[in-house]
Amino acid sequence: MNEVRSRLSKCFAAVFPELIEAEILRATPDSVASWDSLASVTLVSVIEEEFSVEIKPDDLEQLVSFDKVLNYLEQTKSVA
Amino acid sequence: MKLIEALSIIPKSPNPGPNSGNEPLAVALVCGFTPLHLQTFLHAELQLLFPERRIELTTGLYGDIFGTLQGLKGQRLDAVVLVLEWSDFDARLGLRQLGGWGPQHLESVVERVDVWLAQLRLLLAEIGPAIPVAISQPTLPLPPLFFTPGWRGSFYELKLKELLAAFAAALGQHTRIRIVNEQRLGQASPPAGRLSVKSDWTTGFPYQLTHASALAALLARLVRNPLPKKGLITDLDNTLWSGIVGEVGAEGVHWDLDHHSQAHGLYQQMLRTLAEEGVLVAVASKNDPGVVEEAFQREELLLPRERIFPFAVSWGSKAKAVAEILESWNVGPESVVFIDDNALELAEVKAQHPEVECLQFPIDKPQALYELIEQLRDWFGRGTISEEDALRLDSIRQRAGLRQPTDEREGFAESLLAEVEAELTFDFRKDPHDQRALELVNKTNQFNLNGQRYTEAAWHDYLAQPATFTLTASYQDRFGRLGKIAVLTGRSGAGKIHVDAWVMSCRAFARRIEHQCLRVLFERSKTDYITLAYAATARNGPLTSFMKELSPDSSVGEFRLTQAAFAAICPRLFHRVVEENHE
Repeated sequence: MNEVRSRLSKCFAAVFPELIEAEILRATPDSVASWDSLASVTLVSVIEEEFSVEIKPDDLEQLVSFDKVLNYLEQTKSVA
Repeated sequence: MKLIEALSIIPKSPNPGPNSGNEPLAVALVCGFTPLHLQTFLHAELQLLFPERRIELTTGLYGDIFGTLQGLKGQRLDAVVLVLEWSDFDARLGLRQLGGWGPQHLESVVERVDVWLAQLRLLLAEIGPAIPVAISQPTLPLPPLFFTPGWRGSFYELKLKELLAAFAAALGQHTRIRIVNEQRLGQASPPAGRLSVKSDWTTGFPYQLTHASALAALLARLVRNPLPKKGLITDLDNTLWSGIVGEVGAEGVHWDLDHHSQAHGLYQQMLRTLAEEGVLVAVASKNDPGVVEEAFQREELLLPRERIFPFAVSWGSKAKAVAEILESWNVGPESVVFIDDNALELAEVKAQHPEVECLQFPIDKPQALYELIEQLRDWFGRGTISEEDALRLDSIRQRAGLRQPTDEREGFAESLLAEVEAELTFDFRKDPHDQRALELVNKTNQFNLNGQRYTEAAWHDYLAQPATFTLTASYQDRFGRLGKIAVLTGRSGAGKIHVDAWVMSCRAFARRIEHQCLRVLFERSKTDYITLAYAATARNGPLTSFMKELSPDSSVGEFRLTQAAFAAICPRLFHRVVEENHE
């Protein structure tokens, strides 16, 4: 599981290069100024590519923090 | 490249200071869809190809290609990247607009595409001369709006493709408009894996990531437009032909289907093509020169001996042979490819000449051979073939035949210079479309005032300044023509002349052409002194020698040369001078 967390952290770091590791773990659209709609789309694309998953458009609204994305990936992977 | 990799490259963009000489690379990405990840990939690819430049990539408005292009007129840009898709021509050819796929619409779709492409062609003809434009034609599939089944080509579909092909062919004639090779794109991004319907609907970005990445890589290469390599050195036995000529004799080597050696025939054909395009081709072979000579008497060779210079045939080291060839050509190792079937020979050459590209000729691997000649095409490919390309081999052979100077700029004998009936034509026209002049400035290393390089857009902008002037020199003598071999540019005003760039092809050394350039400059400008923006580089030793000749205590920076000082050291000049387009 730590591996998923580490890979996800790299995804966040690529999209938000200004964040340090601790900030990434707490990242939300409210706490990160650069997390706008464009960043959301980029983040989802990076995650889809990195984890070979397809995130449904209806699921996007709930992926609003590092932890929520992590939970989503863990559930998706366990279902798969 | 993965998206996460592209995102990690972009923040590493350098931020050179204002006096670094590395201006930001300004590129406009123009497309009708949301540029999104294509913008990211293109930025990253450009950064990799221009590591010393900061990339400034701008985009236009969604769905407004014409408006965006119009807005670019007059802007200071290094390149425009134009990415077209069918839906730009007519929204009915996309998936985001509903209401019109019936058979009654097909005629009007074709008509609208025809008009749209004609208008775009006119607009690009205005932009293209000032700014290099890289274009990708539609890469996504046409939607199934035609009434024929998917496996059958529709008349209307074929008509659309005909219009597009005519549009691309017309644009392809412009030297500054470069079009992505669809065949190469297809290798990197197969058509079936390009469209992302989900992304198109959710974000307006219609590409799969893999397709965006592949397309961006090719577009960035079109922007980079790398200089072609200059020379190819080939082995003979089991490379240029099948068999060892020293064992089987001149009649025993082959290069055809009948002897299962077509790979060597195709390789010969490719080398001949390259030679005809101006690439220098030499032989480095461990053999008996007499036997090789006999083999080259065979008329069916596709690469005849007159296309090869020099022949370095001996039992000595290949690395030494390569060194001799480089000296004979007077080109740098980074511009040269060496091909041999023997891995040990390749390793030896690579060890001695690490900048030479070394390729192993694949024996009994037809697919690998095909990939090798594709690689050669990439390395030696060029946008146009100039008169100078055709003259290059003759002039090098002629130079070698006259004598073998030990110093790069060591002169020919005075008596010879007096007899060769040399003619120098100086052209003062400022022509930003003179590709040969820009090529000389960007390719010349040895006789180069300061190593300054220019992008096409920067060159265009420089020449557009009213104070700048250009002098190009073309040379011929009774042994033949060298073509355009020198370029000198600078600025004039208030009776002063400052030279910003000055290059001369190494093929033209030892003929006192550099002296004649300065003499003409002094004579025409009627100034007492000129200044030159001299800077020593790792490779402009011959230029530095000349500067020392002009003034033994010359140092880098603004070099001041008075007419009196020049007259004191200028040797006797024998050229007949012709001046053209002088105001």
